This record gives sequence, structure tokens and C-alpha cells, in this order.
Amino acid sequence: MHQEPHEMSFEYSITYKAENEYENPVENASWQFLIVPENNDTQELMRVDIKNSLGAKNEFSENGYGFRTVRINTLEKFQKLNFSATFKLKKKSFNPFGQVPIFDIASNYELVQSLYFKVDFEPFLGQTKFTTLPQASINLFVFDPALSIFDNLQKLNTWVYQFIKFNTGVTHVNTLLKEILENPEGVCQDFAHLFCALARANKIPARYVSGYLHQGNGYFGDSQMHAWAETYVPQVGWVGFDPTNNLLVDDNHIKVAHGKDFNDCSPLKGVVYSHGANKTSHSVEVQAQQ
Amino acid sequence: MNSDVKTIFSSYHNNAQLFDEVFDSNGVAKNVYQKLLDLYGNHSIQEYVQLNNKAKASFFNQGITFQVYDNKVTQEKIFPFDLFPRIIDEDEWEIIEKGAIQRSKALNLFLWDIYHDKKIIKDGIVPLDLITSSANYLHQMIGVDPPGGIYNHISGTDIIKHSDGNYYVLEDNIRCPSGVSYVICNRTALKRALFGVFNHYKTHSVTNYAENLLEILESVKPKGVDVPNCVVLTPGMYNSAFYEHSYLAKAMGVELVEGRDLFVENDFVYMKTIRGPIKVDVIYRRVDDLFMDPLEFKPESALGVPGLFAAYRKGNVCLANAPGTGVADDKAIYTYMPQIIKYYLDETPILNNVHTYHCSRPDELKYVLEHIHELVIKPVDEAGGYGISIGNRLTKDEIKVVQEEIKQNPRKYIAQPIMSLSVHPTYIDDSESFEQRHVDLRTFTLLGHEKEFVLKGGLSRVALKRGNLIVNSSQGGGSKDTWVLKK
Repeated sequence: MHQEPHEMSFEYSITYKAENEYENPVENASWQFLIVPENNDTQELMRVDIKNSLGAKNEFSENGYGFRTVRINTLEKFQKLNFSATFKLKKKSFNPFGQVPIFDIASNYELVQSLYFKVDFEPFLGQTKFTTLPQASINLFVFDPALSIFDNLQKLNTWVYQFIKFNTGVTHVNTLLKEILENPEGVCQDFAHLFCALARANKIPARYVSGYLHQGNGYFGDSQMHAWAETYVPQVGWVGFDPTNNLLVDDNHIKVAHGKDFNDCSPLKGVVYSHGANKTSHSVEVQAQQ
Repeated sequence: MNSDVKTIFSSYHNNAQLFDEVFDSNGVAKNVYQKLLDLYGNHSIQEYVQLNNKAKASFFNQGITFQVYDNKVTQEKIFPFDLFPRIIDEDEWEIIEKGAIQRSKALNLFLWDIYHDKKIIKDGIVPLDLITSSANYLHQMIGVDPPGGIYNHISGTDIIKHSDGNYYVLEDNIRCPSGVSYVICNRTALKRALFGVFNHYKTHSVTNYAENLLEILESVKPKGVDVPNCVVLTPGMYNSAFYEHSYLAKAMGVELVEGRDLFVENDFVYMKTIRGPIKVDVIYRRVDDLFMDPLEFKPESALGVPGLFAAYRKGNVCLANAPGTGVADDKAIYTYMPQIIKYYLDETPILNNVHTYHCSRPDELKYVLEHIHELVIKPVDEAGGYGISIGNRLTKDEIKVVQEEIKQNPRKYIAQPIMSLSVHPTYIDDSESFEQRHVDLRTFTLLGHEKEFVLKGGLSRVALKRGNLIVNSSQGGGSKDTWVLKK
């Protein structure tokens, strides 16, 4: 996204907390957190503070797509882990409509049909577990060839926003699109998956994005990590859409990572050598100072 | 020779319809086998049976077994071994060796391309769908440069000798090809049973495999490592190839480890020892891609090492074979091997591919539908022999069913001529005599940084059921020692 000159920047303070509790003592565990905001054109990470209650080392590494992770390997038996991370981040203020060009509509559609384009964007054009549409739903949202790709994506954004009713507790991390289409209620993850699936069905590369949302304005998705989508728009590049809130991604969105779907972006992955039940809870707080 | 004693080949039935590697159609032994037949001919069948039983016992005693999972009972079995060796002369071997190296190199360049620029797809030679639809294609490998630039360090190429006398490749196995330990054990067993026969032939040794494998592994050490620490990573003792894992580790003089013996710290891999952690630089892993690292791939895997893939991406450890290599040993990719060799090496293939008809191409579809009775029909997306129809075994009604299936979904099928594998005299317990049995050959090719090696020998697998063309050990196949002669 291009920047307008003389714009303001904010400072955000983000706190992520996770609490894992196990019924039986755990001998050995490894966790990987994908929660660190990335550095990009619109955001710059200033400070990172990470703590865990086990006194284990917090190691920085990268996931399979090059996004920063925090990994913890436990040293001794435990039953409870408290983890907290605080990030200070500088975010540039920007208007997502600021640099929308005059689109050459015909040649843009030609481009997305070309073999080179399909090859280069192949990871974000295919179907994955969470972005597979049932055969009957492939034409649920068909682009209008008279409109630009960008305009179609905006319409898709609104369509998804209206199609799914925001409701927590109906879906879970393993919910498939098939279920969403049967009972259109869910959370940001479901909105983002449906948006990606329908953009890809129209040959537009779309990637699932995980990050934080600064509320303030009563948006959905505050106290947890948020999810949205980025699509590749010819002549512009990757543009973020937030179908949960019917918005273009703006300076309230703080990106952590992207992938083909939630699977690539799961904020917490763990390998725990234990048996019995466990309880996990996460919380997120985003504060802005202008 | 005393004609009253029943010698081992006295009742050998030579079916002239089959391509016998030892006898010509008049029953005359080929030159290279003459000496061997003289030597074996001195034995009666009873003596041979005794020797055979001794050899079997030695496999059991050494623990060279594999597991068969059947009826929920795990059984230890030996891979049936035949004491009559297969001989490949130096001229034929040269073709096989050059052909195997050519394929390995082409596949390596193909893999580099697929995980970088994908030029071969952009140039319209290999279809994009073929790559993206492969379960073994790993997006995490895009843009990753494996140490030394090598993906398929170890390749197992399955070759058959056709009745036309030429060698054809059936498949390229470049995930975790197994079987090399049997090659070495077969040689040992034959030497124990019939040492004398080796005095009459100049046979290449096969015991140098492990030292060459170690050199290959060391050649792809991560940057900045002086003397690399190599290990063999096994899924554990319940894996059907565990004997091989332990054999290779022992023969290379390196540690045999399981996932739980390793850990990752600051993106370096360490091995737990009683003297504290020791850094590991190169891992010959016999654990499948998706089980290697539960934090990156299947989270339920208990065989992997959390954080291993991150260490690999950073270039701090080398994995052999590289993750994602399996995308190139797909059945559908196989059919493009001649084009792949031409594209990257600008050479014609030294070893033939079995001719393949793509039902997705209209003119080839027409041919297939009209010639099903002489073709093998295979679905492109299934492995393990599922969904295969062998045309000459089908009834007229069955042919009609297959025709309909292909017409419904031509993209899903390929067809190949029914290949007539060569046969080799093989001792059959039930008839207490030698009979013709179909045989194939798995060769082992190693590719490293500025180093390559083909094991001079290989695993000749024999289909023990008469007329059976499938030689896999799980299908009741056996094996033979395979001699490559020196010039």
C-alpha cells in the first residue's frame, strides 16, 4: 500500500496473553506462538517483551513461510503455563482508497488468466482444507466482468459481511466452509475463509491474514486475535479486506502473518506430552497513543 | 556330471514365450551364466535345499526381518532370498548406471525449479495442476535453498528388462527408498553359503554403499561446518525398515536416533547424550515429510522434532532427502521424465520410460478406448496399486465398465502397454525345483555436492507366484543377489 506524504503515525501497545492448564502434570512440551507483528511498509515493531511462568527460554524463530515465531521448550514438569507478550509498534496512518488507480479492466482480467500469473500466485489460488467450497457453491459470488477486480472485491467483502452473522461460540478452529454455508454464523476466521475461497473461485489470489485489530470504533474482533484477507489486485499489489467488518484494511489492522488459510497462521501450536484434559485461554488488548 | 542324480536345473521348464535372462529360447545358457551353471550343476537339489535353509536361518539369526501387519498380528518375516544370483554384465550395467545418474540429476534440477522459478511450468512443459495437486508438494519449500543444492540425495530407481531386451524404468523413488540393506545382506548370505562361486567371477563389491552414503551426506553439510556430525533419524523399531536404519547407521559409524533424541535450540539441532548435547549437522531421515516436525506439519506426530523445519530453513541442518522431494516421484510426473531430461540436461533419456497414454488428450484417449485389452490402465492420483486394471485379464463386460469410467473422467487415467518383465530361474519351495519367475531391479543412486554414486548391484526382486508381475515384498516377493561384473 502506498503512503501519502506528511501523514501521521500512531503508537500501539499490544498485549497478548495465553494461559494453558493441564489436568495432569506435563513432562515435556514445546509451543510455538505466531503472534509477533511483522515489519512492513505500514508498521514497525519497536519493542518486544515476552514472559512465561515456567522460566523457560523464549526463542525467536520463523515458521515455514518466514514469519517470526516465539518458541518455548519446557525444562521441567508443570501443570500450568502463563505466557504474555507485549509489543510496542509504530503504525503509519493511511487511507486505503488513497492510491486506487484507474484500472485497465480488460487487461487485468487477461493477466489473471495467464499461465505466468497462475504459476506465480499458485499458493494463494488453490483450495485448502478451510477454503474448499462445496461444488454447488462455487458460483455463489461471480465477478462482474464490467467492473474492476478491486470493485468486485469490495462487493465480495460486503457480500460476505452480510452473508455471515457474527456470532461467537457457534464455530470453532476446525469449522469448514461447508458448515458455514449451511448455517451462516461465525467469527472472523470464518469470514476470512469464505472471502478467500470466493476470491480464489474468481481467479484472484487471496491470502488469509492473522493479526490484531484496534477497536475503538466498535469493530468486531477485539479481545482475540483478528483475521482478514489480502488479495492481489493488478496495478496495485496486495490489498487487505476485512469482511468481518465490511472494511478495507486500514491503520487499525496490525498484521502478524499470512498463509493459505488458518492452518498456516495458527497463533499457538503446541506439542504436549501428557494425557487428560487441558484448558487454554487467550486474550488480546490493543491500545493506541497518537 | 552323473545323469542319475537330479541336478538343480534338470527339470527347468523354459517357456519360450518369456524372456529368460539365463537361457535362450533353445534352452542354451547365455555366456555369462555358463560358468555359474557348471558350478551350481555340481549340486543335487537336496544339497541345494540344505544350503537354502541355512541361508534362511542366517537371515533370522541376524534379525534381518521385516514386519507384516496382518489380522492385527504383527509378524516378523524374512524377505525370501534365492541363492541363484542374477548377473548383469559390464556393458549393460554402464547403460543402467548412466541412465540412473541422468534421471537423478534431472529430477534434482526439476525439484530446484519447482521450488524456485517454476520455469518448466511457465514454458508449458509440465502442467501446473500436476504439481499443485500433489500431496507431496510443500509450499514451505518455496524459495528454500537446500545445502549443496541437492534434493534427492538418495534415489531408488525401479528398472525392468523387457522382452525386447531393453531396460525400462518403472518408477523413481525419491522419498525414502528402502531395500539397500537387503542388497548387502543378500551378498553376505550368498558368500556364506557358496563362497567358491565368487572365485570365478569378478564381481563389484556392494559393501561400499555405506561409506559412499556418508561421503554424500558430508558433502551437503551446512555452511560454516567443518566436520559435520551426521545421524540417521528413524521412526523407531516398529517401522518395517528399522533393520535397514540401524544397519546404515552402524555401517556409516554414525548415531541412530529417534525424534525424541533430538531437540532444537536457537534453530540449531542437538542430540541428547550422556555427555550433554551434541550439535547435529546432517540428518539422513527415514521419517516422512509430514511427520518430521509437529510444529510445522502434522501436530499429532510423535516421531518428529519440534522446530526441525525452522532449523532447516535457516540452513543450520541438512535433511536428506530434502522435504518436498516426493512431488517428483508422482506417477503423473513420471510420464514427463523424457521431457524433464530434455529440458534441463538437453539430453535424450538413456533409460526408456514405459510409453504412456494420457487419456486427457483426445487422440490418445481414442487409442486407449480401442486397445484396453492390451493396456494397463492406472489412475494418476492413487498409489499402492489401487484402481489398476490389467487389460488382458479383463472380461468383455469388465472392459466396458473400464471404458465408461475413463470416458467419464479422462483426466484421471493414464494407460501403458502391458510390460513383459524378464524372468530368472528361481528356486520354488513347493515344487522343489527351479522355475521361471518375473524379476525387476531396484538401483540405488546417490547425489551430493559435486559427487555422485550408483551402487554397482541392486535389489533384484522376484515375484514368487507364477505369472505374477508384482514383485513387492508385501505381495510375497523375494529377492536375489545381483552381480555387476567388472570390466
